[in-house]
Amino acid sequence: MSVTQDYFSRLLAVIGTRKDELNALDAALGDGDHGTTMLRGLTRAAAAAPGLGAKAFMRASGGAAGTLFGLVLVAIERHLGDGADLATELQLAETRIRELGQVTLGDKSMVDALAPAVAALGAGGNLTDAVAAAARGCLATQALEARRGRAQYVENKGLGHQDPGATSIVILFEVLREIQENQ
Amino acid sequence: MTKLFNSQETMVDDMVDGFVTAYPQVMRGQNDPRIVVRSTARKNPDQKVTVLIGNGSGHEPIAMGFVGQGLLDANVVGDVFAAPSADLILDGIREVNGAAGTLLLISQHSGDVINGRAAIMLAEDEKLNAKALLMYDDVASAPPERRQDRRGAPGTMFIYKILGAAAELGLDLDGLIALGENVRDRTVSLSAAISPGVSPLTGKPMFSLPEGEIFIGMGVHGEPGAGRMPHGPVDKLVEVIVEKLLLDRPIATGGRAAVIINGMGGTTMMELLTIWRETRLALSRRGITAIAPMIGSFVTTQEMGGFSISLLEPTQQMLDYWCAPSDSPAFPKISLLTQEAVS
Repeated sequence: MSVTQDYFSRLLAVIGTRKDELNALDAALGDGDHGTTMLRGLTRAAAAAPGLGAKAFMRASGGAAGTLFGLVLVAIERHLGDGADLATELQLAETRIRELGQVTLGDKSMVDALAPAVAALGAGGNLTDAVAAAARGCLATQALEARRGRAQYVENKGLGHQDPGATSIVILFEVLREIQENQ
Repeated sequence: MTKLFNSQETMVDDMVDGFVTAYPQVMRGQNDPRIVVRSTARKNPDQKVTVLIGNGSGHEPIAMGFVGQGLLDANVVGDVFAAPSADLILDGIREVNGAAGTLLLISQHSGDVINGRAAIMLAEDEKLNAKALLMYDDVASAPPERRQDRRGAPGTMFIYKILGAAAELGLDLDGLIALGENVRDRTVSLSAAISPGVSPLTGKPMFSLPEGEIFIGMGVHGEPGAGRMPHGPVDKLVEVIVEKLLLDRPIATGGRAAVIINGMGGTTMMELLTIWRETRLALSRRGITAIAPMIGSFVTTQEMGGFSISLLEPTQQMLDYWCAPSDSPAFPKISLLTQEAVS
């Protein structure tokens, strides 16, 4: 098994155990299927040929979330599979996600976890630093009001609830750190 | 309501299979069964800019039916009422891309925009020469000062056809984008709905409408409209729509408007021809000549009852491309009507 396939397999296993938690977070802010959507995409990604995992994820997940998380997975797959620089690839993904999703820091979205992690890597930090930064950013989404997506229409704009997308970003980084540690 | 299909899982693929085996103009792409490409008279993509669009299913014949000579090079077919994923659109771009480049047309709906623009980003990573053009024309979805926030509506068919013809005749990628933007800025559309379509996924009506009322400005998926009016003679309804369209983008007395009368699936040709009649008269009362009409059900929402009127104030070049011959399974022959013919 290639290292990218190993990554997608482990990610699938972790998301599998946390699917209900992610769905519950999403139920407070959106339509309650974030965990299921991630699981569906990762099931296909883990079964895909090396180099085609992110693509399989996008196709199976569908919608905006499938594309936006797919871009993060494209970056990670390029890093693990082709040796591309992780910080550079993730910075590119973050820029694209901000542009495509019309979302910025503080909007209560995946970017609130992704951006601090990318910044930590860009400043020369390792994956442990990135995970810590993502987790802090994720936790901070509880105190934010949503300005994008369906969450902006729920009561109190989701104030008090942790963003499910940011939570998934933390998981993506945690599993990546685990893979790197085992290499 | 009962619909005819084998299963929800296969309904889109069964449809595409039926389509590609019925018409010699099209075939499946090599990269994915959900890509429909032009089969006849294909030109060297190093010499001709290729034009494609991706869209959700359930709106046929658009845009699958517009693949062919003088029109689209490919259509990327998404699930029912859902945009195709970015990677699938990327496969579609790869399918037709050559040195002359590829133009991806994106009808402005959030899923289509995110996935379409992501596909362009991924294509750039592969050093493919591909660009996107966002299409929007629905006056009900945003005020004139936020024109760029509007939804894509059936007026986008002006862009498909005009750019398809221009690409066939050798216009380059930047030229096509400039032309497409110009067509977009001269196009306005507004719809009216009298009965809902039924989603093949849920079997349920997509919205409800009080008895005897008409929604104005309904989106193609049944998104809420801009207003309601009581059901009555169609001439009054068309008058209201034409007035709103011209208020949004005026055409001077003595001017010309190319017209699309689009049915949404549950409206008959008898009704659509009546709407064309009333549109022509409403324009004529304002000293505007209606020309080159496209009349029929092209952008449908299952059996939704209703229609839209789209107006383009064309340049002579646009008009020539709009009326140029093409060969696809579903695009009609457009006849330029002379001044005499409409008097």
